[in-house]
Amino acid sequence: MAEQGFRTCSVTGLKVHLPAERLIKANAVTAIIFIAIGGAAALLAALTRWPAVHLLGPEWFYRVLTAHGFDMLIVWIIFFEIAALYLGSAVLLSVRIAAPLVGWVAYILMLGGAVLVNIMVLAGKSDVLFTSYPPLMAHPLFYLGVILFAVGALIGVALFFATLYKARKEKTYTHQSFPLVTFGLFAAACIAVTTLLHGAGIYIPTLLWSLGIIHDIDPSAYRLVWWGLGHSSQQINVTAMISVWYLIGALSVGMKPINEKLCRTAFVLYILFIDVASEHHLLVDPVFGNAHKIWNTGYVMHLAVLASMIHALAVPAGIEVALRKQGYTKGLFEWFKMAPWGNPAFSATVWSIFIFGFLAGITGVVFGNEQINMTAHNTWRITGHFHATVVGGTTIAFMGVTYYILPLIFRRQIWALSLARIQPWLYGIGITMLSASMMLAGAYGIPRRHWDIANFGGSPFAFAWDPTVYIWLGVFGIAALLAVAGGIIYVAVSAGTLLWGKKVE
Amino acid sequence: MSGKESFPAPGTFVLALIFLVVFIAVYFLNLKYLGSVWEVR
Repeated sequence: MAEQGFRTCSVTGLKVHLPAERLIKANAVTAIIFIAIGGAAALLAALTRWPAVHLLGPEWFYRVLTAHGFDMLIVWIIFFEIAALYLGSAVLLSVRIAAPLVGWVAYILMLGGAVLVNIMVLAGKSDVLFTSYPPLMAHPLFYLGVILFAVGALIGVALFFATLYKARKEKTYTHQSFPLVTFGLFAAACIAVTTLLHGAGIYIPTLLWSLGIIHDIDPSAYRLVWWGLGHSSQQINVTAMISVWYLIGALSVGMKPINEKLCRTAFVLYILFIDVASEHHLLVDPVFGNAHKIWNTGYVMHLAVLASMIHALAVPAGIEVALRKQGYTKGLFEWFKMAPWGNPAFSATVWSIFIFGFLAGITGVVFGNEQINMTAHNTWRITGHFHATVVGGTTIAFMGVTYYILPLIFRRQIWALSLARIQPWLYGIGITMLSASMMLAGAYGIPRRHWDIANFGGSPFAFAWDPTVYIWLGVFGIAALLAVAGGIIYVAVSAGTLLWGKKVE
Repeated sequence: MSGKESFPAPGTFVLALIFLVVFIAVYFLNLKYLGSVWEVR
């Protein structure tokens, strides 16, 4: 007889705590709703930055860009990560989630915060973009919404730690340490604590400033602390994404890392050094000295880069070894040819590794170089880089793991599997083209945030771009449509699976 | 044990070399571009 409050998964044999399962479902579904909202905003922003269309006026452009940044970089990803934390603790360790009620409090705070921010942005009271740099001032409820979201996420992370403690105390797992996926999520959660504390640390004074209680916010101090949230939140993503690579590798081909100790060490390198990567946003700031900038971005940051390179080689190597064991030993690449490409989770992971390594990783290191940053800063090269990282890396990986979460947690067969199979390809090709075209247009000086790059809003100072720029802007427009089509399929397959997918027992 | 057996992922090694070449090329192109717009006299 099943233990009370648990069910046993017929595929993995794992004991699934039902209250944890409900929390995973709520957080995952909410994440997908917000990727749909953020994706709609992405389409509007892209159609405006594509000069051939130039859809929106300046007010609505900055409004949808603010919503797009917040919903995609923060809301979709962190809701999904909280779902992943509960999965990696309660489900993978077959333990009761420590305090389900606390999980619901965290969920309500996050949802309330996210909705509040979206309302304030779409009502036109917070056109401050994702970075909300002072002296731009938003409505106090915008800052309150961000704080509520950050506090909710922090509570969710605390619940993850408490569940790990419970599993350790009750010895619910057989390994000496947590499984690698859980260990990776633990690293992500450690980074999340510092990230969310930075968020609270900067948004509480900014809220007081918007209420008139504090009269000044120093823009430099704001930027320093804010990037402890803005960039570090992407480091949570990177760490969670890599945990997802290991999970999908294990589930799809039976992958085991060649050297697990090395992989664990790489996660520790993330905890210790990845936060300083935030400093590359400050490379052109006049306030900080060169020694400070170069120490952080020229030296320390590379220890985190080393960790990424270890993971980005450990995962394909693990997959290769697993597939060679299955008999695909001919030549150098038979294993690659014979890999399970029909499994959308697997193909999504390969796209994620490819884009994260070749586009995002290389450009991240290059643009983090102080001298090169002088030409890249505030151009579209940076936007191209982080779309490769966050969208091409994290979002595709999370889309991939959704194709396992739907049957294993929601207990539904994937609806429209043939559509699901092409989804990672469409999205991967779209994001690769989108990121590359942004970086190439940015190399000609196309600015990062301007609404009207062709005419600069009728500025009296005319500027003629090299005509090549318009080729890259055209490629960008087409790529954005491809990526949005891939995003629509992802949302449609997920929703269709919940509504019409056959039940799996 | 032969050398071949002790190296379990030769395909990944080749992929890593391709990655390294791309890395060097992108770094070089960016520095070359920087040199063209930020001339040292």
